[in-house]
Amino acid sequence: MKLFLSALSLIFCAAQACAQDQDSPPPIISAAKHATDGHVWGALIFATNDASQLTGAKEEAHSDLPNLHQRLAKVFPFKHFEILGQHRQDIFREYESWVVPSRDLFMKIDSKGPADKDGVNMHLQVWHKHQVLVKSDAVLRKDSPLFIGGPPWKEGRLIFVLFLERR
Amino acid sequence: MKHPSEEHDLIRWIDGEMNEDERVTFEARLKQDPALATEVQKMSALSASLRAHMPAEMRVPHADYFNTQIEVRITQMALDEARAKQSASGWSAVLQLLSKPWFALAGATALAVVGFLLLNPEIGVASESMILSSYTPNTRVQARTYHDAGADATVLMLDGLDAVPADRKIAGINIQRTEMEPELASTTMFDGQGTAVLMISHDALGNPMISPR
Repeated sequence: MKLFLSALSLIFCAAQACAQDQDSPPPIISAAKHATDGHVWGALIFATNDASQLTGAKEEAHSDLPNLHQRLAKVFPFKHFEILGQHRQDIFREYESWVVPSRDLFMKIDSKGPADKDGVNMHLQVWHKHQVLVKSDAVLRKDSPLFIGGPPWKEGRLIFVLFLERR
Repeated sequence: MKHPSEEHDLIRWIDGEMNEDERVTFEARLKQDPALATEVQKMSALSASLRAHMPAEMRVPHADYFNTQIEVRITQMALDEARAKQSASGWSAVLQLLSKPWFALAGATALAVVGFLLLNPEIGVASESMILSSYTPNTRVQARTYHDAGADATVLMLDGLDAVPADRKIAGINIQRTEMEPELASTTMFDGQGTAVLMISHDALGNPMISPR
């Protein structure tokens, strides 16, 4: 009888431990729980003069960033601008933030706190695979996008756009 | 065991830093003290070996980045100092102004200007994004930065980057939401449908690691 009770209590304890494991959610913390200094929209854009080289991506520009293609054309000498990928991201106050519109070209942001004129001080790193292309200290302000001229690709160029959202 | 001052004299003699009197005195001691003479020989040999194997000048790693960071810091310190002086002298200046007979007229004008600026906050203050400093680890890459008024954008142009191979397929992603796990320093990214698309973390060297590849 004593042996039976011991076995029963062991089974009960094991079952309880399993139940606790299943009840407790994985320790992922939602982005909303972290303090933020703003929100950005980042996009990877392919610029080319040869329409046949376009990839067919159908991504659309941020609604608060009008005439993006025309504005890009004033800086980069290309006729066609295609948004390959985009990413909306919180700028975490205490943690690094990644903007990854593509596995090939992406950005790390470390916030350095608010700046005047509704801006955000930040340290940026643009990465190409495992290689950092540039590190910059910057102030990003609303309605003033940052255009980063990246590496050539095909007969065009890859461009990274970073934009501080108004929300 | 040598006294510290004795060791100091020894090093100064080897490096030729003694004046004439000190040198004569020290060399007289050398003749009388065989242990000190042996120590001098050992130290001289070590010094010669170090000079032979170490470059006369060593390049500071990432000197350009170091310099830009110092420039940024100096600018910030100058601004902080100016602000501190301004706030310290502010109240005494206000009291002096209040005693001036023309204060009422000047004050009214100033209030009008301030009111106008408050109603038109875009006037008089730069509101564009700015690049304060840039550093490219690849010395063949040059970073140029400027504001393009036509595009109403700040530009960071990276010249000299290696081209991405033309046959390399570059696929974009649409990320709408992220969840972060600080303890593991990893971020999971989701598309508009709430599907986990990828996770980014760090490898052993601290470089970003995206999975799935």
